[in-house]
Amino acid sequence: MKTYISEQNLNTLLDTLIAEGKRVVAPRMNAGTPLYEPLASADELVTDQLPKRSGKEAFFPLCEDIMSYEKEGQKVSITDIDPARFPETVLVGVRSCDAAAIPVLDAVFSWDYKDEFFLERRKKTTVVGLACTMADDACFCTAVGLSPAETRGSDLFLTPVEGGGYSCETCSEKGEALVKSYTALFAEACSSKALPLAEPQTEKIDLQKVKGWLDNHFEDPAWDSIATRCVGCGACAFVCPVCHCFDIVDEGTEKSGKRRKNWDACGFWKFTHHASGHNPRDQQPKRYRNRIMHKFKYYDDKFGETLCTGCGRCIRLCPVGIDIAGIVEEISKK
Amino acid sequence: MTQPIDESIYTAVTVAIQAEAQRILSEGLVTAVVGYASARRKGSTQPIVITDAALAEKLIFTPACVNNLAVYLTKAKKEIPKTGRIGIVVKGCDLKALVGLMGESQLKREDLYLIGVPCIGVLGSIIQPDTAFTSDSIAPKCRECDAHLPLGCDFVPSQQPITPELEKKYAAEIDRLEAMTPAERWAYWKEQFSKCIKCYACRQVCPFCFCEQCLCDRNKPQMVETTPRPAGNFAWHIVRAMHLTGRCAGCAECERACPMDIPLNLLNRKMAKELKDLYEYEAGFEVNAKGPLTMFTEKDDQSFIK
Ligand code: SF4
Ligand code: SF4
Ligand code: SF4
Ligand code: SF4
Repeated sequence: MKTYISEQNLNTLLDTLIAEGKRVVAPRMNAGTPLYEPLASADELVTDQLPKRSGKEAFFPLCEDIMSYEKEGQKVSITDIDPARFPETVLVGVRSCDAAAIPVLDAVFSWDYKDEFFLERRKKTTVVGLACTMADDACFCTAVGLSPAETRGSDLFLTPVEGGGYSCETCSEKGEALVKSYTALFAEACSSKALPLAEPQTEKIDLQKVKGWLDNHFEDPAWDSIATRCVGCGACAFVCPVCHCFDIVDEGTEKSGKRRKNWDACGFWKFTHHASGHNPRDQQPKRYRNRIMHKFKYYDDKFGETLCTGCGRCIRLCPVGIDIAGIVEEISKK
Repeated sequence: MTQPIDESIYTAVTVAIQAEAQRILSEGLVTAVVGYASARRKGSTQPIVITDAALAEKLIFTPACVNNLAVYLTKAKKEIPKTGRIGIVVKGCDLKALVGLMGESQLKREDLYLIGVPCIGVLGSIIQPDTAFTSDSIAPKCRECDAHLPLGCDFVPSQQPITPELEKKYAAEIDRLEAMTPAERWAYWKEQFSKCIKCYACRQVCPFCFCEQCLCDRNKPQMVETTPRPAGNFAWHIVRAMHLTGRCAGCAECERACPMDIPLNLLNRKMAKELKDLYEYEAGFEVNAKGPLTMFTEKDDQSFIK
C-alpha cells in the first residue's frame, strides 16, 4: 500500500515516538560527522548525507556489555545483561544499501547460534528505509544486484517526491503497524512524482563468475598485487553494513568488571593470532584475501548471496585507496 | 575566497619520476620502487610497489598522492622485502618521517634511493578524489609546510614548486584550543573521541607506529581498554600522542586516514609546539639518535624538582 507523509509530519512522527520513550535512531551530525545515532529531537535528522558508519549498529553496537562480575572475598557473582530491557526502536532514514544489509546480518546471527543481543534488538526495531537520490563513483549497489529503490530490509520505505515529503510503501507487518498507529500523519495516496533516484555508474558484476574464480584461486599471485598496499586497519570492516565479526574481552579489575563484545576486523594482524604465537594469516595479502573470500565466496557458500551491498564506504574510506568494486570487477573478467 | 592552485608542474614531475624509476630499476640500482599509481575512480591513486622497469610508466604524481609511503619501509610492513636498496617517492613531509626512522635505527640511508617530489601540496581528503585542487581542498599540513623541496634526496625533478601564501589552520586552531578553559577543552576532545571506533587506521598508516605489538593491543595484561568506549578511547589517544612526541613531524596521515574525522594532527602539532618551546627541538630535519624525550641536558627545565 502506498501513502504519503510530509516532511513536517515525519518530524512530528519522530518527536512523538521520542516522547513515547522509543529510541529513534537516524542519521545526525556528531562533531561534524554524519552517523546513525539516537535522536534527541526530529530537528537533528539529516537526510542529505550518507552516514560514515552503517545502520548495523542499531542492532550490533560498536561495543556492548554482555555481563558483569563482582568478587567479594571468595564469593563471585555474575549478572547477565537482560535483553528484555532493550528499548523499542525505530531506525529511520536508512539508505537502501544499509537496509538491504539487515537481512544479510539476520542470517548470520540466527544461524547455528542464536545471538540474543542482536535478535532481541532486531525484533524490537522497525526499519524505515529511504530511497537514495545521490550516488558517487564509489557506489555500486546496482553492480551487486540491488538498487537505490531497493526495499529489502525496510518495514516502511520512503521515496522523496516532487514538492517535498515522501511517498511511503509498507513492506511488512511492522511497517503497517507503524502507519496504523499514527495514521493521522499519513495521507491516503501519493499523487506527486518521485524525485529522480541515484544512478550508480558501475556496471553490473557477474557475481557467479567472481565466485567461480575465488573457488579455485585461494593461492594466486593476484592477492599480492592487490593487497601488499593494505596497511591492516579496521576501517573497511568497521564502516561496512554487513561485516559482523566481533571480539569478546573482559575489562575491569579483580574485584569487578564487565565482559564486553566489540567489533573486530579480519584486516587486523591479531585477528588470527594464536595463543601459541603462530599466525596462519601472517601477511597482509592473506588477511585481505579473507575479506574478499568471505564477501564473495564463503558467505555465498553458506547463505546463497553476497556479503556486500555496494554501499561504497570501504572504497571511500580505505586510507590506501583499495577499491573493492574495482577488484571484484577485475576478478569477474578473469 | 577559494582560489585554484596551479598544479601543472606535476605533469613534468610525473614524467621525471617515471624516467628515473625506469633507469634505477633497469640499471639494477634498486630492487623495487615504492610510488603512486592511478586507480579506477576518476582522480584516485594508490600506493604501488614496482620491481619491473617496464612498469615504471605506471608511476604518477598528482594532488591525490597523499600517502606517506615511508610506512611501507618499516618493519611493520613485512610484505615488502627489505633486501637490497629500495627506491621511494617522497614529499618533504614524508622525508621527515624517513629521517626520523633513520635516527631510530629502523632504516639506513644507503639502503634507500630517494626520489624527492618538488611539492606544491596535496589534497586534504581523497574520499572524493576527483576534487579540484584549491586553497580550500589543499591539506592543512601543506598550508604550513616548510619542506616543499625535499633536501638530500638522490634525485629531485628540476621543477620549482611555487606555492601560494595561505593562512595557517593548525596554528589558528591551536590558539583557539589554548584559549579554552580546561573544562571546555576536555569537552571538545571528549566529543571528538566519542566518535573513535578503534579501527586503528591512524596507527596503521603512521610510519612511527612500527611496534610489533602495540601496547594498546595487549590483553595479558590489558594495558589500555581495547573496547571503543570513553575510557579506552582517551587512553589510546593519550598513548598515541605521547609516543609520537618528538618523533612525529606532521605528515598528517593519521588525521587523513581517520574515517571518523577526528583532528588527530592537532594533538601532534600541539605536542610539537611544546617541544619547540621547551627544548628548541623540531623533528624530521636531521638524523638524531636521541630526541628531547629520550635524553637529558642541564638546560632542561628542572623546576618540577622541589
Ligand atoms: S564491502 Fe564495502 S562496499 Fe560492500 S557493503 Fe561493505 S563497506 Fe559497502
Ligand atoms: S583494505 Fe584499506 S581499510 Fe581495509 S584493512 Fe586494508 S588498509 Fe585498512
Ligand atoms: S602521528 Fe600522524 S602526523 Fe605524525 S608521523 Fe604519524 S601519521 Fe604522520
Ligand atoms: S583512525 Fe580515527 S576512528 Fe580509527 S582508531 Fe584512529 S582515531 Fe579512532
